[in-house]
Amino acid sequence: MSHLFDHHGAPGQGYAQPAPILPASSLVLPDSLIRKSAPRWPRISEPEMVRHYTWLSKRNFGIDTGFYPLGSCTMKHNPRVNEVIAQIPGIADIHPHQPEHHLQGLLSIYHEMQHMLEIVAGMDQVTLQPVAGAQGEFTAVRCVQEYFRLRGEDQRTKVIVPDSAHGTNPASAAMCGFEIVEIPSRIDGRIDLDALRAVADETTAVMMITNPNTLGLFEADILEASAIVHNVGGQMYYDGANFNAILGITSPGLMGFDAVHFNLHKTFSQPHGGGGPGSGPIGVKAHLADFLPGPIVKKRPILADEAKHAIDDMWFGWYEPTHSIGKVQQWHGNAGAIIRCWAYYRRYGNGLTTMSQHAVLNANYLRHVLHREAKAAGVGDMIVDGAETDVAKHEFTISLGPAKESHGISAMDVAKGLLDMGYMAPTVYFPLVVPECMMIEPTETESKETLDTFARDFAKVLQVDAETLHAAPITTPVRRVDEVYAARNLCLRHPYDDD
Amino acid sequence: MVDQLPNLGREAEMLAIMGMSSIEDLFADVPDEVRMKGPLPLRDAQSEEEIIADARRLLGSNVALGERVSFLGAGLYRNYVPAAVFQLITRGEFLTSYTPYQPEVSQGMLQAMWEFQTLISELVGLPIANLSLYDGSTAAAEAITCCVRVHTRKATQKDTVYVSELTPPDRMSVVENYCQGAEIKIRLLRHNPDGTVNLSSAKDAAGSCGVYVEQPNPIGILDGGLPLLKEIIGEHTALIVAVQPISLGLVEAPGAYGADIVVGEGQPLGSPITGGGPIYGIFACSQPYLRLMPGRIVGRSIDVDGKEAFCLTLSTREQHIRRHRATSNICTNETLIALMGAMHMSLLGPEGLHDLAVRNMAACTLGKQKLASIEGIHLPHASSHHFQEFVIEVPGTASDCLAYLDSVGIVGGFDVHRWYADRPNWLLVSFTDQTQANQIELLAEHLEVWAADQGVTA
Repeated sequence: MSHLFDHHGAPGQGYAQPAPILPASSLVLPDSLIRKSAPRWPRISEPEMVRHYTWLSKRNFGIDTGFYPLGSCTMKHNPRVNEVIAQIPGIADIHPHQPEHHLQGLLSIYHEMQHMLEIVAGMDQVTLQPVAGAQGEFTAVRCVQEYFRLRGEDQRTKVIVPDSAHGTNPASAAMCGFEIVEIPSRIDGRIDLDALRAVADETTAVMMITNPNTLGLFEADILEASAIVHNVGGQMYYDGANFNAILGITSPGLMGFDAVHFNLHKTFSQPHGGGGPGSGPIGVKAHLADFLPGPIVKKRPILADEAKHAIDDMWFGWYEPTHSIGKVQQWHGNAGAIIRCWAYYRRYGNGLTTMSQHAVLNANYLRHVLHREAKAAGVGDMIVDGAETDVAKHEFTISLGPAKESHGISAMDVAKGLLDMGYMAPTVYFPLVVPECMMIEPTETESKETLDTFARDFAKVLQVDAETLHAAPITTPVRRVDEVYAARNLCLRHPYDDD
Repeated sequence: MVDQLPNLGREAEMLAIMGMSSIEDLFADVPDEVRMKGPLPLRDAQSEEEIIADARRLLGSNVALGERVSFLGAGLYRNYVPAAVFQLITRGEFLTSYTPYQPEVSQGMLQAMWEFQTLISELVGLPIANLSLYDGSTAAAEAITCCVRVHTRKATQKDTVYVSELTPPDRMSVVENYCQGAEIKIRLLRHNPDGTVNLSSAKDAAGSCGVYVEQPNPIGILDGGLPLLKEIIGEHTALIVAVQPISLGLVEAPGAYGADIVVGEGQPLGSPITGGGPIYGIFACSQPYLRLMPGRIVGRSIDVDGKEAFCLTLSTREQHIRRHRATSNICTNETLIALMGAMHMSLLGPEGLHDLAVRNMAACTLGKQKLASIEGIHLPHASSHHFQEFVIEVPGTASDCLAYLDSVGIVGGFDVHRWYADRPNWLLVSFTDQTQANQIELLAEHLEVWAADQGVTA
């Protein structure tokens, strides 16, 4: 074990700093402002520190380590040139309060990204300000809220979400102050139009939905759903978590949506960094554009005194919409993430369609070979599809319900067994509408061989007896972690001897 | 041609195995009415070499602060971050992982974040810290909604918080967006002409759900009155203090004077400014707020063999479980940047943090001495204590002054007029450990020239 707080070396050995430009003795602070006791931080030299974090990294699983089929998270390869680009001083060392003429390059990239996202989403205006998908949801719902306030439609107090929706949808809408109306999904996980009709009325503000849905199925009735909501005067919101399936194939605009968020980090591959950062731009139809948070980049003719700073035949300027809801993050969004995603977009250009085709190809292929290999191994009856369907989109669900019933093997057991085989486990127990659910998203950056091998290994896990699987994993840095113990014996920081 | 797809050229083979003949078969469920017709009207794919060349050209046209002499801070600061941080963060096991839902293969990030929680907890003097929010403004907003959840039942001023009137409008705007849904009433906490909190008007905040102040405050002043605030507002009103984390190498930790929640822009610890993101927001609190706080938190536990192990805990507060009753909608956060912060804090150690704070304050102090002596330049808060930035009042508009300084290669600071409509001639100048004495001399010389010129034309 390596523990950061076990290091008690000499003061200041981590890295030596230059002397201050005035001696410390010349600084004056009254006693009420002076810190009385220093933080009990470790004292660790650089060699020890590098070894500590390297040791930690080896106890962590990333896409670089192995196949990471975590449904809904789009764990695709992160091209390394994007990391190099993000270190260029023209992004790493710029401040959002610098004047426009210092940041024409940044603004041009923002403009290009807005334009690209408007095209793939079929929306009229994009803002890059929200910094995560959930924040994008919150921002878009806020914009719709202000839109209705301005129209005097204050009676629209409800937001409709399917019961299979991501948890962020109801959480974001509730943060805006809306009442959540959850509607049941059909048995195949798709939207129940009758259930929607039953709740849609003049109090409906927004319906939030993702398509493909969380079972990886395309909602073929989406135009009908949009019509139902629009007919009562509500707005349609597209949760872009599953955008990877549809680039160049269809768009939220074509499906009748009024607003959409993008999980830029998923679709355009900002490394997920153990939980973040992300980037959650939103796009809206023209009637909502005035409510977006700024800054938005717009092009205009160059003024005479700007010519020497221009990098294009037009000037890129920040723009604040008239009825903007204001800000949701203090700065210009996650600029560093947007730059990486821009580099990712440039890698594909109009080939983004091919990217989505391969995401869907890989998901369907894996679904096929998973069943094939399970059958071949004689364990085909332990899994069933989460929903009856001919094709899935970028992800699919299976249910370990039969395995649970006949062998006492749960989705969690199989997940832990997969860890022992050197894989990250798929998303488990979501969506809740599928019993013993596993949600599997391979992404387009996995080879056929990886998918074949995974399918065979998955079948091997299904052949393991329940008792052995209950004990899995056994090859990982630690074995099954006791989450109940963690919650009952809260230890949220290092316990110092002198506490 | 795209080079990121391992199965390019193998589509037919894979489709055949599935009994399909065309990629189109995979999209048979997408109705024709919603199909996009024709290719995406976007540019062609580029190679890695072309992309990096374009990136260098476009980003190279931005003015990086390191190319100039810069005194721009106002919430984000250019500190030195040691090289080891940038090297270690490229480890793919950290970089390309996601939320540690499978703790057995995520011990590295979980332990690193548990250590981060400890580092932040020690830094601010409170027992609990989460593993980051998006930035300082969202941390402030989440702290305010959190304190209302905790206190409003017993509060005499229900759903009411008092927020420093100096809070910059862009930060306040975030707070307002987060508060409006919960119908939280925001009242302004008054300040004295010297920039410190007006303690007698702070009495009005007693019985409300919380008070939000910043230390140092947005115009750089360290307020010696803040340690008195908790006693004034009382036990049932949360004291929320936003900090510049490096200042805590010298300045008293808010936990030591009764703060209930500490938030802040973590950026100076571990992260370059990066155009304002990704950075990370600090959120720390005391025990009563634990179960109603936002964001992820790591707990130490054991595995089935009784071996030390870490996992996410108290998840029932979060959106993926509690859905619309969650304490926040946050899911993706800023873990990787928080990890950079943890690495920076580790290398600094307690003495290193102190030295870093001294270097920041020393540069600021020298700046104050030099700029105060310029004819025509006035320091409205000259007798106040400053950590790393202060306001100068210039003879003309701050915006004209900044334009002049820009013309001679100096990023002169922040035009406070963008925050406060009644302050057209306030310039906020910031100093960090990177500020050199000769740069301060250069700023002083040019300010003197410009100020003298204003005198002539006035």
